Amino acid sequence: MATQEKVDVVIVGAGASGSVYAATLAKAGKKVVVMDNGPDWQASDLISSDIWGRRIKPAGAPFILEGKHPVSMGAQGGWGVGGAALHYFANFPRLMPNDFRIKSEHNRAHDWPIAYDDVAPFYDKVAHEIGVSGDAAAEEIFRPKGQAYPMPPMKTFRNGRVWLKGFEANRIRMVPAAVGMNSTDFKGRPACIYDGWCHVGCPIGALANPLVTFLSDARKAGAEVRAWSTVTRVLTDASGSKVTGVEYYDRNHEKQFQPASVVVLAAWGAQNPRLLLNSATDKHDKGLANRNGLVGKYVMTHFASGTNAMFDEDVEAHLGTIGAQFMSYERYGKTAHQGAFGSTFIVAGFTSKLTGLGGVANTRPELFGPALHAYMKRAATNLTRITAFGEEQPKIENRVELAAEKDEFGMPLGRIIHSYDDNDAALWNANFEEGLKIAKATDAKDVWQVRAAQPTIHFMGGTIMGTGAANSVVNSFGQTHEVANLYCAGPGIFATAGASNPTYTVFALSLRGAEHLAKTWSTVAG
Amino acid sequence: MDAMERRVFLKGAGMGMLAFTVGGASVLMTPGQARAQNVPFRLLKAREAETIEAMGEALVPGAQRAGVAHFVDQQVSVTPGEALLEARQLNVKPPFINFYRAAIAAVDKAAEARSGGRRFAALTAAEQHDFVDAMRQNKIDGWQGPPGGFVYLVMRSDAVDVVYGTMEGYEALGVPYMPHIAPDKRW
Repeated sequence: MATQEKVDVVIVGAGASGSVYAATLAKAGKKVVVMDNGPDWQASDLISSDIWGRRIKPAGAPFILEGKHPVSMGAQGGWGVGGAALHYFANFPRLMPNDFRIKSEHNRAHDWPIAYDDVAPFYDKVAHEIGVSGDAAAEEIFRPKGQAYPMPPMKTFRNGRVWLKGFEANRIRMVPAAVGMNSTDFKGRPACIYDGWCHVGCPIGALANPLVTFLSDARKAGAEVRAWSTVTRVLTDASGSKVTGVEYYDRNHEKQFQPASVVVLAAWGAQNPRLLLNSATDKHDKGLANRNGLVGKYVMTHFASGTNAMFDEDVEAHLGTIGAQFMSYERYGKTAHQGAFGSTFIVAGFTSKLTGLGGVANTRPELFGPALHAYMKRAATNLTRITAFGEEQPKIENRVELAAEKDEFGMPLGRIIHSYDDNDAALWNANFEEGLKIAKATDAKDVWQVRAAQPTIHFMGGTIMGTGAANSVVNSFGQTHEVANLYCAGPGIFATAGASNPTYTVFALSLRGAEHLAKTWSTVAG
Repeated sequence: MDAMERRVFLKGAGMGMLAFTVGGASVLMTPGQARAQNVPFRLLKAREAETIEAMGEALVPGAQRAGVAHFVDQQVSVTPGEALLEARQLNVKPPFINFYRAAIAAVDKAAEARSGGRRFAALTAAEQHDFVDAMRQNKIDGWQGPPGGFVYLVMRSDAVDVVYGTMEGYEALGVPYMPHIAPDKRW
């Protein structure tokens, strides 16, 4: 195993969280290396096609997906530099104050070790750093006051506006959606042109993906991004009290050691626990940061309840973005639905592309042959949809663990076991019932829903934060309780899931953690 | 992506075609063109390709002519990281050829059991429709292989891809494609 030149910090994963750490620490003068196991994508690689867009979906070592509701890794994860944030929808709702104190207020799930007010300044900083469009004042009917967004809301289209009548009839207040997209030119990046190809990657940089935001800043500040570098273990010193760097395989499959003063695990949510568990030593016999057995535990996802509506007229189905035009926290209260605990976040108005998992063809999955073609002809222009995201409650048995089977580098595969419970199902169903009421109060000709398996959208938990080693893996900055110079970043550190799309919070928490690390560097890096 | 990989990638994507092997040389063309020119399959056996074509056509009219079997064959022959199959997003474990072989075998075995020995491609259109309808609901007795509903999902996605997922497919349905970076006039 060859040894590379020592750096200040090695960041494992070049996605949303890793890019924030890289930019912040490189700007603070630290020598930064970011490792990613996939290709070094450029914006010009992001071809507008559902077919070609699959190139940025997971392709590394597979996870074994088990449980009653297996995690949809293939659709949710990323591959290569930029990570899943290359193809995210850039909906930027935030967690609400009630997300941080579920245990205190309802004696369920967990409290976070921080409050909304600790994160809110970082939501504002991220918005002004990478660009968010929306109407903060309008949103403040649902949340505490904060700064205005740097750009006005995005344009709306008929596929969004036709729903407003239905929401109003059901007393659900909709406000302009906050999105990580440019409604105007912003910091040299152009305004969105509303072609709806966001989910396969925005090559013009109108959508705030890492390549054009934090990662670009990191590179300018001197950070090295090392693609095709697969980290397999975090190494520790003889005492087990400090990490010394990472073991990885380079693009030629040669084993390397990258020494570093600090290690930040910012890989996909399930990959961080896999790495920690695979880094066991005699001093950490259950895996690194895992003396309490909590590494890999409390995996959480969101479940969407979608409602389809066919109109007699063209609703401009092809126009807009894959993110939302309107959003609502009206059902965000944990007890908003009788008989089902948990928050709901609602969005309306987005492009309907013809194909792909979320495409028009899958809105009537039972149709095939000539019946499918007849449907496609109508739905291509006249279909529109809304989605309600539900919050899963954390369960310790939903977990990541190591399997016996190994990958090409000899590293045990990860196994993700995930199941919803009756409460999760009740919330999913309550959101379906409400979605139907909303749709029926519009002028739609036909309304329907597809209730197959309860979906598993986004990935959170596995390295959750808390007040101490008795209840969690990391503190509120992502620093592991067990080893001071080892951090975890990303949605894995969420203590609970909320119902909001997670990436805005990932950016905010990562910025909070990275700034704190920079400020306390000498203590942490020693 | 490094310079060399990038050149290879853009060569295909810029022209919007896939690399097929003709006479030992790599030639860029669409799956429909590959079918029209009888390009030999890389991994699929003739009977397997026949089943994919018949199933694709039953699922989405036009899929056979659009070269669904050549699309699948080319895609299962490249590395999983290069593959553009929906199977990749549906958590099918690579190598993807294993899934398709198992799916095709399940379809043909079940078709033979239901029809007195005829494979799926030899069923009448009405029989194929009834078969697919039962398969998608996991209602075929004695089915052996990946669940019928999942086979339906994956193979329907492939057929949808080659018929509707292209620029021509959008055009045929009257929908502006509006690419930032056009894959090609077909892809």
